[in-house]
Amino acid sequence: MAASSHPIEERQGSSPLTNILLRQEVILFLILILAVTLLALSSDKFLTVSNILNQGRLLTEIGLVALPMTFIIITGGIDLSVGSILGVCAIVLGYMWNPSGPFQLPLEAAIIVSLALGTLCGLVNGLIIVYIGVPPLITTLATLALYRGLAEGISQARSVRGYPEWFFQLGQGEVLGVPTQLWVLVFFVIVTAIILSRTVFGRSLYAIGNNELGARFSGIPTGLYKIIIYAFSGFMSGMAAWIFVSRVTTTRSDMGSGLELDAIAAVVLGGTSIFGGTGSIVGTVIGFVLIQLLKNGLSLAGVTTDGTIVVIGTVLILAILINNFIQRRTNAA
Amino acid sequence: MNSIPILEIEHISKRFPGVQALSDVQFQVHAGEVHALLGENGAGKSTLIKIISGVHRPDEGTIRIDNRPVSFNNPREAQALGVATIYQELSLYPELTVAENIFMGHAPRGPLGIVDWREMGRRSREILESLEITDLDVNRKVGGLSVGQRQRVEIAKALSLNARILIMDEPTAALTEADVQRLFSIVRLLRERGVGVIYISHRLEEVFLLADRVTVLRDGQYVGTADVKDVTSDQLVSMMVGRTIENMFPKLPAVIGDPVLEVRNLSRRPLCKSVNLTVRSGEIVGLAGLVGSGRSELAQTIFGFTPAQEGEILLNGQAVRIRNPGQAMRYGIAYVPEDRGTQGLIREMRLRENVSLAVLRTMTRSGFIDTAQERRLAAEAIEQLGIRAYSIDQVVNKLSGGNQQKVVVSKWLASKPKVLIMDEPTRGVDVGAKAEIHHLISELAQQGLAILMISSELPEVLGMSDRIIVMREGRVVAEFDREEANQKNVVTAMMRETAEPATASTGQGVSV
Repeated sequence: MAASSHPIEERQGSSPLTNILLRQEVILFLILILAVTLLALSSDKFLTVSNILNQGRLLTEIGLVALPMTFIIITGGIDLSVGSILGVCAIVLGYMWNPSGPFQLPLEAAIIVSLALGTLCGLVNGLIIVYIGVPPLITTLATLALYRGLAEGISQARSVRGYPEWFFQLGQGEVLGVPTQLWVLVFFVIVTAIILSRTVFGRSLYAIGNNELGARFSGIPTGLYKIIIYAFSGFMSGMAAWIFVSRVTTTRSDMGSGLELDAIAAVVLGGTSIFGGTGSIVGTVIGFVLIQLLKNGLSLAGVTTDGTIVVIGTVLILAILINNFIQRRTNAA
Repeated sequence: MNSIPILEIEHISKRFPGVQALSDVQFQVHAGEVHALLGENGAGKSTLIKIISGVHRPDEGTIRIDNRPVSFNNPREAQALGVATIYQELSLYPELTVAENIFMGHAPRGPLGIVDWREMGRRSREILESLEITDLDVNRKVGGLSVGQRQRVEIAKALSLNARILIMDEPTAALTEADVQRLFSIVRLLRERGVGVIYISHRLEEVFLLADRVTVLRDGQYVGTADVKDVTSDQLVSMMVGRTIENMFPKLPAVIGDPVLEVRNLSRRPLCKSVNLTVRSGEIVGLAGLVGSGRSELAQTIFGFTPAQEGEILLNGQAVRIRNPGQAMRYGIAYVPEDRGTQGLIREMRLRENVSLAVLRTMTRSGFIDTAQERRLAAEAIEQLGIRAYSIDQVVNKLSGGNQQKVVVSKWLASKPKVLIMDEPTRGVDVGAKAEIHHLISELAQQGLAILMISSELPEVLGMSDRIIVMREGRVVAEFDREEANQKNVVTAMMRETAEPATASTGQGVSV
């Protein structure tokens, strides 16, 4: 196709939407660079290869959950139950394998059961949201309590330890000098980024978030797509549970408490509108990297945990203000 | 009209960045007059009423109320001088009661500055009674009211501010027929009381029914003012568009072929009851009926949005089951919905993304969207339908109503349908774009498409259709050939109380 034969196409680069997306992510990236520079200046332990790689290890669980959360928030939904799904998956992993428990499955089978359970939990969220029509906020607030309760009930406040050595490779080992779970995260980042930006499914998520009725009238199976992303969110919470257990070598029923808020913060910091319709995986990645580096850098610089939370909250508000400011200016132009 | 005007506007100009919205416009309203304001989209009507109601300040010119020059810094100052505006989007608080809404911002107060609820209720009832509105409980929450009732609350609110100049911006756009009649009687009541009403509408027949005088704007310029009894609707149209539109309904001859869409005893309660109809290739079938007669519901049942409960749908003679819009699309049915803002478009997305949205699944290369193909499709759509946009990446929201409608149409043409259902294809579209869309519909029929066109505008139905089907209360009640249909028998069928068996009499061949 000769682009020059269509004069209308030549100005494609100057589209307002492209500009917003580009600029939002560029600005976030600049904030990230600035933060890294400041933190490096305040502690010489911060900008070292081993510290950065170690932070990669710590952010993987939030990262894995934040990816499907980006999909969900783009459709105008939310999933508050991810932390509880992580908890119940972790407990079930240990419970199924536990050599002195009722099932005594091989560890591989226990992992598969745990992942299947996570997917099922997400599927239940999706079914309630789509077929009963309960708003996502309410549905997942309820299942947040429900799944956490299940985790506590199954665990009976006992933790399961003593996993075989190979199991720790995922959470504590390295491949080519990089923490193993970071490879997993990178894999899912690439896959979700491609799905969101290059496939019909991804495009449909934006359409749903902007105007669900219009999407339905365009023949998009909106209900099916929403069920898929909530189920995917549950599956990824299960992945995060597996990595979490492998990293900390034990299971406890309170694992993953508050994880949903970290994940949502990362997504929103990354420029995804909480009202749906806009957002990107790149933004989310910058979001969770920034949050993790701030936490680590500030604590290395001697800032207390309370102080760190205050700084992260402030950065979140600033980032949203900047985004709003840019968007308003671009819309006015 | 020999009285002194209560509102006079002279030499008003207003410029926004990049556009001269109004230049040297004049306008007058007398007490006890209904003055219609006409113009295409973008003619400057909205800007003018915003200046009168104090939202914008004019760059030049004078506004006089009761012969005294005034200038408003904000809408409150205009209200204080008796100017009230009822916008298209009603601005009421759904969680508050009727009385609270009427007195929002100026509630009667007792000693200590506490709201006097009893007085508020009493005065609200008084105002409503003065408008002969007796079916509205002042203690009801506004959220549960119909659009027509809410509008009456808005009018009461304006009167509670002692409005002497009432601006109504397309008040009938969302009303049912019965509510329109009530609105008209309220407006006439206000006129008798000496209120000056500025009435904006796209519907010419309303102007002739209601208005005393009419002022026409075009491209921000004043075109003229006339007594309604001295003008014809053709004259008004040519004043609005600046040219005479020779043929508003360019119906081209088309070869009418075999039945493409056949619907037999199709039911989807409550508004689609045992419907039978046939649309042939090359044929335009007009679907007439009052609002709420089940026309859109029938279309959405055929399209699978609300799947049928009983009956069957045949495409090219083959019975098909359609359970969702995606299936309907694969069978070659396209539906241009009634409300382009909420149903037809994703307005926040780009032109190219909207044009491709329905056919995206067929435009993939190993699972990924083929963006080159998508761009080509959008560029073709712009060329074919004459969509005025500066780029295929423009956000659809920024286009005018007519161009947005063309985007919806091109989106569905991209699916290469065999049956095209169009629900109010020219609603809220200005006269020029309307003629273009009519021409397009005609061309599509000529190319052999089977077209089912729902419209509430009788001239459109009569002018474009080969055959007209009339629905009432969810049933098909009459059918007319192009030659035998006229305003009178179609309207009679739409309104008639007792159902009579539908008369089917259609001939195959060439229609002109």
